[in-house]
Amino acid sequence: MSNAGTTIFILFAVIALFAAAFTVTAKSAIRAAVGLLAHIISLAALYLTLHAHLLATLQLIVYAGAVVVLFIFVIMLIGPVSEDKGTDRGLVSRALGAGAMAIVTAAIAFNIWSFAPDAPAITSCPGGANAERWTTNEQGVASVTCGEFGGVRSFGLELYREAGLPFELISILLLVAIIGAIAIGRGRSNEEVEALKARKAARLASPVVAPEPVVETESQPVGGE
Amino acid sequence: MHSDFFSFGFDPGRLLLWIVLLPLFGSIINGLAGKFASRKMVSAVAVGSVALAFGLAIACFVKLTMLRHAAGEEGEHARILYTAYEWFSVSVGNVNVPIFVRFVMDPLSGVMALVITGIGLLIHIYATSYMSEEPAYYRFFCYLNLFMASMLILVLSSNMALMFVGWEGVGLCSYLLIGFWWENPTYAAAGKKAFVVNRIGDFGVLIGMFLLVYATQSFEFDAIRHGAANLSGATELAIGGMAQADHHSINVSMATVACLFLFLGCAGKSAQIPLYVWLPDAMAGPTPVSALIHAATMVTAGVYLIVRLSPVFVMSPVAMSVIAIIGASTALLAATIALVQNQMKKILAYSTVSQLGFMFAAVGVGAFSGGFFHVFTHAFFKACLFLGAGSVMHAVHAHGDADIRELGGMKKFMPRTRMTFLISCLAIAGFPLTSGFFSKDDILLGAAFVGTGAWADYPSWVGWLVLVMLVIAATMTAFYMFRLYFLTFEGDFRGAHGEQHAAAPPAPSHPGVEGAAETHALEASTDAHAVAHDAHGHDAHDDHAHGHDAHGHGGLPHESNGAITWPLMILAFGALAVGFLGLPHWAHLPNIWEHWLEPVSARLPGVETEASAGLGGTMMLIGTLAGLTGIAIAYRWYMMQAGETPAALAARFPRLQAFLMDKWRVDELYARIIIKPAEWLSNFSSEFDKVAVDGGLTKLPAFAAQAGSWAFTRLQNGLVYSYGAVMVAGIVAITFWYLIPHPNLQSAVQGADVKYVAATGYGYEYRWDVDLEPGFETNWDTNTHEMTASFERAARNRGAAVMNGRPGSPPPVIQLRHGELYAFNPRDFATTEWMKPNTDGTPPAMTWQDGKLLIRVNDAEVRQDGLPTTTPTISLAPGESVTIGGRLIRAAGVMRGTVEVRNVFGYVSRESVEVTIENAMPQAAPRGAEAHADLRGGL
Amino acid sequence: MDITLGHYLGLSAIIFGIGAIGFLTRRNILIQLMSIELMLNSVNLTLIAFNRWNPGNHAGQMFAFFVIAVAAAEAAVGLAIVIALYRLKKSVQSDHADSLKH
Repeated sequence: MSNAGTTIFILFAVIALFAAAFTVTAKSAIRAAVGLLAHIISLAALYLTLHAHLLATLQLIVYAGAVVVLFIFVIMLIGPVSEDKGTDRGLVSRALGAGAMAIVTAAIAFNIWSFAPDAPAITSCPGGANAERWTTNEQGVASVTCGEFGGVRSFGLELYREAGLPFELISILLLVAIIGAIAIGRGRSNEEVEALKARKAARLASPVVAPEPVVETESQPVGGE
Repeated sequence: MHSDFFSFGFDPGRLLLWIVLLPLFGSIINGLAGKFASRKMVSAVAVGSVALAFGLAIACFVKLTMLRHAAGEEGEHARILYTAYEWFSVSVGNVNVPIFVRFVMDPLSGVMALVITGIGLLIHIYATSYMSEEPAYYRFFCYLNLFMASMLILVLSSNMALMFVGWEGVGLCSYLLIGFWWENPTYAAAGKKAFVVNRIGDFGVLIGMFLLVYATQSFEFDAIRHGAANLSGATELAIGGMAQADHHSINVSMATVACLFLFLGCAGKSAQIPLYVWLPDAMAGPTPVSALIHAATMVTAGVYLIVRLSPVFVMSPVAMSVIAIIGASTALLAATIALVQNQMKKILAYSTVSQLGFMFAAVGVGAFSGGFFHVFTHAFFKACLFLGAGSVMHAVHAHGDADIRELGGMKKFMPRTRMTFLISCLAIAGFPLTSGFFSKDDILLGAAFVGTGAWADYPSWVGWLVLVMLVIAATMTAFYMFRLYFLTFEGDFRGAHGEQHAAAPPAPSHPGVEGAAETHALEASTDAHAVAHDAHGHDAHDDHAHGHDAHGHGGLPHESNGAITWPLMILAFGALAVGFLGLPHWAHLPNIWEHWLEPVSARLPGVETEASAGLGGTMMLIGTLAGLTGIAIAYRWYMMQAGETPAALAARFPRLQAFLMDKWRVDELYARIIIKPAEWLSNFSSEFDKVAVDGGLTKLPAFAAQAGSWAFTRLQNGLVYSYGAVMVAGIVAITFWYLIPHPNLQSAVQGADVKYVAATGYGYEYRWDVDLEPGFETNWDTNTHEMTASFERAARNRGAAVMNGRPGSPPPVIQLRHGELYAFNPRDFATTEWMKPNTDGTPPAMTWQDGKLLIRVNDAEVRQDGLPTTTPTISLAPGESVTIGGRLIRAAGVMRGTVEVRNVFGYVSRESVEVTIENAMPQAAPRGAEAHADLRGGL
Repeated sequence: MDITLGHYLGLSAIIFGIGAIGFLTRRNILIQLMSIELMLNSVNLTLIAFNRWNPGNHAGQMFAFFVIAVAAAEAAVGLAIVIALYRLKKSVQSDHADSLKH
């Protein structure tokens, strides 16, 4: 990797580490969110050094543009409660867990630091990195056959060819997540709460208020009227 | 054949099937639907099915007779055979032995089938009246029909396995019917006793059956009979499984062992010493049951089995002698007990035991035809006696049994019953020209015949001993039967209304023979009985009170109705008449019986069975005299006197009298030597179960589970931190597993090569050492997780000698490096002759040289490829073998492969595997060229 | 100094560790969720780095793509749960949400 690449890596790696550390140590949630934002942006830069142009973009759009903003909205909604007051509860297990995790992390990081396989060259279309190849079949339909590694075209091509089904499933997952988030997060209106209270009171008042006739006959099988 | 009247246009064998099936269907119908049907319907189904079976049995029997006549000289083997299907098969050694559901009617089973269905029909008719008051009427007939079906399976089956089905079936029905009035615990206990005692016998039958099947490789009676001649040879029986040690084995013939085991079964079923104890108690069942099962049919199954297998039994004079002596002893023992008993059915029960003893004595001395003739005649008169007793009990409303001291003068009230009873008593006493006369004389003649030494293999003293015992028993039989008759039917009625009883004092502690002369109140008598016998706990006395209660309003006894008297009269006629089927041969009279049974009853080997007229006449005289003496004594003591002599005798020998009254205290003996230890063992097991199993083995795991769950609930504290910490522990474990490489080295022999395979992993690098020299041949490489080494190259340095070891243990292997000399230490191989040092001091030794095993031998015998050789040094390539001093030695090459695996973290793991190749190198063997190239490619 | 795969993997291991330690030690659910995002991001970095050293296809990047999508869904649902918890307990401390223990 070039010297410029090395510089970029070191710069953003340091930023990412410090931002991550700030995120988990910040007293206030809003500060943590800002740390997360910095972390995400620096990771996007690292993605670029790894030739993942599309993912770097997605990282910025989805994480920085959506997830972090969502966090900030929630923090605003909740207000000062979101501040951490600190506690001694579970101190032992917290310390044990954190310590063990730190040891594992250190073991992995220091051991893997020197793992240096040769980086293969990036394959690109004949005719240069930006050359795009379109082919047109007899019906006149054009299709892309190659693109640069990590670029939108080559990534999209492979995504739709190799991972179409998971991609569609992801859309279902997102739909479910949206519906679930709405269902969990919206709460109940005042009218709904009143109606619930009324039904509960009615149920407590008379035990046989359940109006379904089938249940009625089953629970009272007396035939002699 | 098909034009024949009795063939009905189809295989007559199919009738055999229906003989069995009809009572079975009757039983099923009554059992399932009888509760909802009227008594008439139940009676119709039960009696009808048996009547139809009887009709079919007659038809088959006639057909069999015709077949025999039609076949003339070869008529001996006439039979009706029906194979329903193959039930299952078993492997005996290498032979697959099929077991068929197959019925056969030959002369023996024909007679038995007729007796069973005929007498069974009479008893069914009798029972419709006798049991008419019974609430569980349908249940009774369900059991009774089931018994008929089982008994018919027993006698009609053509093989031992199917016979055993019937054998067990009749045992079950006997149990069910003895305990028919199960509300009474005494009766239920009697049923259980019969069942348990029979189990002991059944064990014997099973073992005997297995031995015979093992020896003859067939379950079929025919095959066993034909194979019997091979069974007499001595077999070495290992005692305690120590066949090697000679002094622990005995020589007996297979026939003796099998016969003694079979006899154990017969003794159980047919109530012989030592297993007779259940039969007297079995009288707890309803009287028709006693008559049918425990007198006429089931108890004779043992005799039937011995006659059926008579060719096997004659192979073993030892077993025959045992059977004869035990039979005669049983006859005598039961007769002595019957002398003093006071219950009608009890006397008849011991009489049955005694008569069964006669039959066994007969088959024991080889008089199979005579013994079976006694089965036949006994069925008539004993059934008649039981039914007569039942009729009397019915008349006086005695429920369980009737005490003869409280009867008397019944001939006034029930003349028909009395006449039939008298006839049967005469028959059993052997009065001239009655049926018992002929059959008993046949038995005595048989005993006397072997006593004269006619059968060389058989100890003649057994014949004489048996004869003497039987004559004494016959005298006693006549005496106690007429004692029973006189006390019951003659004299005055001593029943509930006798004014003379009212003020009598309670009876002495042992109301024995003198009881006849005494007069006492019924209740007192019953109480005295309770004192005398309730300690033994198995006398069916409880129902006296019940029976006597009924006297109060029952009025005088009266003759029973036609359903009871007609069977009695038919049976009495039989008791008179059937004897003429077996007129004595020696008197040159036609003995239809013996001729009929000729095909099935074995001839004694090497014996001319024709006894002399002189011996026959003598025996007949002795038998007649014995019977008449018994009758005369009974007449003098109970008719001319009022029982003073027996009372005086009882007073003079009170201990003997009590001993006989208590039935020789055999039950007490069994209770002490068998039941007590069994109870102790059961209690011990129960306590052990409670303390050790329930206490320790179940409570301990329960406690462990409780402790464990307590510990785990501590983990569920609801804090995310704790759960996270546990998760991290898992992460740590998994991480460290992956931080260290795991070679997991495997090896496989592929032809002349050994292929080593190490596990793959991302970033793994490998280096190999497979050539036995120190140092790795290959450098670190990510692609070489497989390595192939040539055996030829690598095994040159190391080899092994593999010896045949002891059975069940891995063979010892001696590993040798190249050029290394291995000298045998004789102490290491103490049992191996050739490994002892040579006389000149040079020990035998072996070495591994250039891929070959060189063995220097001493003067032991050396064989290569089965041929002796004298080469001083043997050279073996891997896979080759040699036998030295009886010890097989095979050369084998040893290979060793070592791999080091390094992962991306820089950790290195090393693993080695050693392969011993015992097969020859397959250079010469044809191998596919591609496979060859493939294997070499890895190197 | 040349930057190689080992450096990326080491960096992502450290980020993962920071995220995990944050998740384990903080009791503010919001920050715990952010820690989860950190961990997911470190995994993404690993995947993309491996893909760079194995560029025959886009398998690693594609996994990262899906991880981003799942992380977005997770964040949405997670934050909705935070709001619901806040309504219920007037708190966003994770150790206040221990009703299931009982």
